[in-house]
Amino acid sequence: MIESPVAPVKAAKKNAIEVRNLNFFYGKFQGLKNVTMDIEERKVTAFIGPSGCGKSTLLRTLNRMYSLYPGQRAEGEINFYGQNILDASQDVNLLRARIGMVFQKPTPFPMTIYDNIAFGVKLYENLSKSDMDDRVEWALSKAALWNEVKDKLGQNGMSLSGGQQQRLCIARSVAVKPSVLLLDEPTSALDPISTGKVEELVHELKQDYTIAIVTHNMQQAARVSDFTAYMYLGELIEFGDTEQIFFKPTRQETEDYITGRFG
Amino acid sequence: MNDKHLSSQFDAELHSVSSRVMELGGLVESQLHNAIYALTQLSEEMADRVIQTEDRVDLMEVEIDHDLSSIIARRQPTARDLRLLIAISKTTANLERVGDEAEKIARMVKSIIRSGSARALPSSELRVAASQATALLRKALDAFARLDVDAAVAIIREDDEIDREFDGFVRKLITYMMEDPRTISPSLDLLFLAKAIERIGDHAKNVAEFIIYIVKGADVRHKAFEQIQSAMK
Repeated sequence: MIESPVAPVKAAKKNAIEVRNLNFFYGKFQGLKNVTMDIEERKVTAFIGPSGCGKSTLLRTLNRMYSLYPGQRAEGEINFYGQNILDASQDVNLLRARIGMVFQKPTPFPMTIYDNIAFGVKLYENLSKSDMDDRVEWALSKAALWNEVKDKLGQNGMSLSGGQQQRLCIARSVAVKPSVLLLDEPTSALDPISTGKVEELVHELKQDYTIAIVTHNMQQAARVSDFTAYMYLGELIEFGDTEQIFFKPTRQETEDYITGRFG
Repeated sequence: MNDKHLSSQFDAELHSVSSRVMELGGLVESQLHNAIYALTQLSEEMADRVIQTEDRVDLMEVEIDHDLSSIIARRQPTARDLRLLIAISKTTANLERVGDEAEKIARMVKSIIRSGSARALPSSELRVAASQATALLRKALDAFARLDVDAAVAIIREDDEIDREFDGFVRKLITYMMEDPRTISPSLDLLFLAKAIERIGDHAKNVAEFIIYIVKGADVRHKAFEQIQSAMK
């Protein structure tokens, strides 16, 4: 490529997470093969690839969600602001408060909208009623849901629409003030309008949070992310600026996948 | 590289729009050929034919742009597909302009015939330049059809030669005009024609640049030749 005449001034970048030589096993099956990558602070990093490529597996290692399942183990290092979270000494509950996760299907708790938010906060902090009210409002505002639910905080979270439920789950993650948000196909169960709102939200949230998103929708990765990682069969094939990946990927495999020649 | 998309309909759409560009290229090429014939043979009939073809060229340009918009809207192309479609759009515009230049030459030929100064034209140099520009356009279209970057680089270099010859031709005309003011009027006609031919070379060069854009992903417009070569690596 020819250099642009004026080189863009790059602010010093800082990594929230540094993955080093990560291998992951589901029993005998190796789901991730020697993955090394950096997840930059306050940027959106998207993971794309065909089903079974390991993108969700990678996301789940980042807050040790896999520890819930016997027989699954990770080798290598995942350094979260310098600390290797794969260490046995890592408190996983604290870790998940700092690295929150939102799943494919909205998973509101069967309780009021207010309690959906307050529930997680109570686990880590002891807030007065008025401080908790403030926190609930703050989190719902962050998730662009406050105006839609402020008059019905006492209603059951399950009564909301799918898109609202998903934003409620995002608000719930945000409420405990994490530094990283992991989004695992957050819009795959949503209609286009709700999808648009969640994408807009991702854009807003990256001012304050580091975001990693797994998506099956390549155009979504192109729209929302700063960096894109293409994975295939447990390997990180290509990782780079989203613009570069979608305009001129370096690897032929990436090109074939994003142009729809895969198969 | 794997040339087939999962969607064979997408392949068909890309193939169809690429064929349309080649069709437009062929039409413009014959238009240019006829314009040069009209110029060298001073044929008013051929000049009229060139002017009439212009409507078909314009229509094809509009149709190709419509096809491109439709593919982009429905397929959200990326990477090489995206670059191909953008390059087709720009190539189409350049081909249409070649058609405009051919039309200009044809109109000029008609006005020269009417003014009766036809025989006074020392047009042999112009004929050489015209055949050079026509050949360059043909090479550019061939290279586009095969996405041949090496040929594209050669075309870019060759256009530099046409540009240099145009400058030399202009200097020569100036000398004629200074020596004998009676040559001013036919010299101006020649200058006008030479400029049109020089522009055709530029359009061929632009098409060559888009070939590099498609294949290498490098935008080499307005770059020095050395920079273009380094972009090839």
